[in-house]
Parts: sequence; C-alpha cells; structure tokens
Amino acid sequence: MRFQLAALSLRRHASRTLLAVLGVAVSAAMLLDMVMLATGMRQSFASLLGRNGFTIRVSPRGTLPFDTEATIGQARDAAVAIERIAGVTAVAPVLGTTIHVLGAANPVTAFALGVDPAVQGDYQLLQGQHPTANTLVASDALLHATGASVGDTLDVAVGFDPQLRTYTGRRRVVVSGRARFTYLSADDRAAALQLASVQAMGGADRTDRVSLFMVRTAPNVDPEAARVAIERALPRVTALSTAGAVAEAEHRLSYFRQLAFILGAVSLIVGFLLVTTIVTVSVNERIGEIAIMRAIGVSRAHVVHQIVIEGIGLSLAGAASGLILGVFTAKWLNSILRGFPGLPDAIDFFLFEPNSAFRALALLVASGIAAGIYPAWRAASLPISGTLREEAVG
Amino acid sequence: MPSPAWAQRIDSIPPWSAAVRTIAIDERLAADAGLHVGDMVVLVAEPGRTSGDTVRISAIVQRRADPSEVARSEYRIRMHLGQLQDILGYGDRVDRYAIATAGGAAADSALRRINSVAFGFHAYPSREIAVETSKTFAVVSRFHRAIGMITIVASATFLLCIMLLKVDERRRDVAAMRLMGISRATVIRTVMLESSFVALLGSVFGVGLGFVVSAFVNAHYQAVYRTPLRFAIITTGTVTYSVLLSLVLGIGAGALAARRLARTPPLTLFGR
Repeated sequence: MRFQLAALSLRRHASRTLLAVLGVAVSAAMLLDMVMLATGMRQSFASLLGRNGFTIRVSPRGTLPFDTEATIGQARDAAVAIERIAGVTAVAPVLGTTIHVLGAANPVTAFALGVDPAVQGDYQLLQGQHPTANTLVASDALLHATGASVGDTLDVAVGFDPQLRTYTGRRRVVVSGRARFTYLSADDRAAALQLASVQAMGGADRTDRVSLFMVRTAPNVDPEAARVAIERALPRVTALSTAGAVAEAEHRLSYFRQLAFILGAVSLIVGFLLVTTIVTVSVNERIGEIAIMRAIGVSRAHVVHQIVIEGIGLSLAGAASGLILGVFTAKWLNSILRGFPGLPDAIDFFLFEPNSAFRALALLVASGIAAGIYPAWRAASLPISGTLREEAVG
Repeated sequence: MPSPAWAQRIDSIPPWSAAVRTIAIDERLAADAGLHVGDMVVLVAEPGRTSGDTVRISAIVQRRADPSEVARSEYRIRMHLGQLQDILGYGDRVDRYAIATAGGAAADSALRRINSVAFGFHAYPSREIAVETSKTFAVVSRFHRAIGMITIVASATFLLCIMLLKVDERRRDVAAMRLMGISRATVIRTVMLESSFVALLGSVFGVGLGFVVSAFVNAHYQAVYRTPLRFAIITTGTVTYSVLLSLVLGIGAGALAARRLARTPPLTLFGR
C-alpha cells in the first residue's frame, strides 16, 4: 500500500520525477567514475608491478627504476649479495639502453633491455625463442618499423657518437621472437637481448653494470623486511617494494585521486540536494492530502514511510541508471587518459571494482533515505486541524 | 646545461674564493638536507665513490613553475659546465645547446643554416620540442574538458530541476495573476525575469565560490608538489562562459515552466 501510494505520487509529476532521476543518475555516474578512478590506478599499477612475482626493485641510490640514466656498478657482486639475503628466490638484472637498427636510410631507434632470459620479468614471449648471445626478441612496433619478422637478421648498434658517426658496439643479430613488453606501451619500439650482449655493446661504460635488479621473494617472506636487508647489504642502491612503488606512484598521481575524492563528494552532495528538494516540494504540494490522511486515521509512521520510500525510489532509479551511464563514461574517460605517452598497456585509470562501486551507490541510496527524512518528519508533524483549515480556506 | 636565468635567485652571496668552486641548489634540496648558503658539500658522480669535488653552496634557487617537473621529486643542482663534465668524466661534450635568436625569420634561417652545416647533430625549433614534451598535458587537458562536460550536464540537470520546481511553486500566484486579467505574455515574462535573477544570483555566488576553491587548490597542490606552479586559474573567459551558461539554463527552464503554467486554466492551478 505504502509502495503503491509512493509510486502514484511520483507518477503524478512524471516529468519532474524523470528530471530528478536523470539528475541523480548523472550524479551517480560521476560518483561511480570517481570511485573507479580512485581505486583503479592503485590496483592496476600494483597488479602490473606484481606480475611474475617480483616484489622488489633495486635501482641506483636515490633514483627510481629508469628515472635516470644512472646504473649500478659491480652488478655481478651485487646480484650475489642480494641472492644471499634470506627469502630472496630470484634476482633478475636489467640494463636499459637505446639501440639503433641500421640498414635503412634512417636508422630505427628503439629501447633495448639486457636481461637474463631465465629469470626475466620484462616481456612475455608471443612467438619464437628467448634471446641468446646473437639473437633478440622484438616488440611488434619495432618489427613493423624495421619491416623485419622472426628469423630475419638485423644490424644493431649501441652508443651512437653523432660527430664521428660511430658506435661503441655493433653486431648482427637474428630476431628469435616476438614479445609483448610488460612495462612499455604497445607503440614503443623495444627489444630484449641477453644482458651480456648489451653490456658488451655498451663498451667500458656498461661493463658489469645494470640499470636495476628485479627481486622475487618467497611467498611467506615480508618483502619489506627483504627490502631493508638489501639496502643494508648494498648501501649504494635504493630498494623499492611493490607497496613502496605504488605509494610513490600514488604521490605522483595524487592529483587524480584527490580530484576523484572532491568530485565524488560533490556528486554525492548534488544527489542528496536534488532528492531533498524534489521530495520537499512534493510534500509541500500535498500538505492538504497528508493532513486528510492523518485525519482519517492513517498513522504518522505510515506517512513517514511513504515519503521516505519516494526518496528511496528516486535514488534507486537514479543509481541504477547511473551505474550504466557511469560504466560508459568511465570507458570514455579511460580512453582519454590511456593517451599518456609511454603508458604501459596494462595500466587502466578506471577499474570497475564491484565492491567499491556498489558501496558508492549504496552511499548514494543512503543519502536518498536521509534526504527523505526531513520532509517526512515535517509532514508527519503537521497540526491536522490547522492544516486542514488553512488548505480549505487557502 | 640549464641556464641559472631560468630560476629565481632567492638568496645568494658573492663568490667566496677563487679556489673553491660554487654551486646553486634548489630550495627543496636545501630544506630536506638542511643545507644553507656557504655550506661546503662534496659532489660525486655516483653513490659510494670516495673521491669527489668539494664545492661551496653560493645560492639557493627556486624551482621553475614548469608543469613537466611537477610530479618529479628529484633535487636540482646548478653548476658550471666544465665542473659537471669533470665529475662525470664526460669530456668536452654537451647534451644540447639552447640558441637565442632575434625570433621569427631569424630563427628559421638559423635553423636551416645549422642543419645544413652541422655534422652529426640536428637543430629543432623550440615550438616543436614544446609540442612533443607537452603531450602529457594535452591528455590531462582533454581529461579536464571531459570531466567539465559531465559536470556541466549534471549541473544543468540540477538547475533545470530546481527552476521547474521553483516556478511550479508559483502556481497559485500565477493563477491569481491570470484571474486578475494579466496577460499570459506578462506572466511568462515575469516568471522568466525571476528565474534569470535567481540564475544570476547563483552565478555570482558560484563565481565567488570558484575563486575561493581555486585559491585553496593552488595553495594545497603548491604545498604537495613544492612548486610555484598555479594549478587552477580563473580567467575572464571561464567566468563569462559559466555565467552565460547558467543564465541560459535558468531562463530556458523558467520559460519552459512558465509556458506550461500560463497554458493551464487558472482554476486548475488553484486546484479547483
């Protein structure tokens, strides 16, 4: 009965109800998007870093991985020292450099990683074999740029001197495979070679040096404890756990998180105000009716319930529409932010997390309930005789 | 080597001694490491090296208001080119030259000449580099525009709803006016005038709120990122756009509701 009366009351002013639902839907969509933005970056980045079980990154002291061109010297000794630390199960050395694929009129420039194929976590092989001493695996973008395919031979060089037009190292390598590079975007031209090959081509400057180590720890070991042990064992490095890296990324991108929080809060307030206004006006228009209902014996609780149900109805309809609208707008906004240059493919700014999403929408519905309470209380507290007289005369 | 002219000197002393070379450090490094003008420090190419160059801090400089540096947390040191080349063992080499020209045609002519005679390197116009390095900000700008569009749709719906309700509340007044013989056109104009006044008042309040919020946003993010960069700027264009949008929406909603009321028979409006 209460539900029927509430539904009839909302249907009486169909256009007004529709507009209110639309307003709440836009607010709900915005709220949902902002929740997705706030949680998406963190989870997406943590999931990217946690791939292949590497929990710690070790880079030259005071730097973040690949943030500068600094390298770690005496890499073999450093790797041994890290491997000795309790809980460390694997150490993957990585040396980054720029390579030039020669042959065409203009050499093709690409980012190259020197890795140990047995423990690497930088790429996923899509086709072919891991790199050996005289082979490399390449990204599709590099293969496309060079017109090469698996099995072809490339003339690659490192350390270009623009004045002398010479290279510190140059060798002919066979493309042994195609790979997707985990931390690079699909458009990046990239290749992976054996670490020793990249070090040798880099000349004396790169001998026994790496850009970073990726460290895998046992599942029962706290990565933070291993991180501290690494920094204690090697004072010339900075060790960063996945949690620390996520915190650093969050600091750098805190703008987006705070924007999400502010806009989410504004959406919630707008939704609340909209439902409050609609229900209040609706109650004001029906003061006479409510007084009659009370006069013929309808209980105060019944009136309150009916009005609160109206608020919930508006909020629920708005939240349901907002859920659909929000998912679509999130995809649109995500496609815009995915345009950041060099963003890894695996990173998404908007991630639909059912728990967070439904909690946010539940908050909106709760605000709808709260929005109905004041007008309901006001309507139920009306003096019956006075209101009837005023409405009849007025 | 970046020019010290890019940064604003906020504290300095004259060179102390010809024997000890001097450097400038950014205020972030000075604050975090507790360094002051006159302090002696040792510069090394990488951590762990025992030999280095002992220098005196002669200036503390403020970071540039450069968006590309906002999220980067590293420290900055300004030193003489030769000094850096010595420390790094870089030889007589530089990463790039920045070339000042008289501008316009002179810049294009210099560019052509350098590229035709230079062996081994290439000159780029600054605008080309600016386009390349500002891609990140172009994405952020597109994102802001998209968020702005969603916000406008949300606020337009809200405004439309409120205006319709506000006019709807006046049904008895409108009925009385119509029964007194006031024409439909006058009723519509009156209601529209009212709604535009409400929209204008709301806009003025909104602009004021915008100024307060932008001041807060600037203060907050300047502290978070330790930069003099201004994150929110309210321009005349922004104010004009928002006030006009609000007025159009307010008047439109008022007109819509007023027309509906004016067409309804007065006695129906009275509920009779």
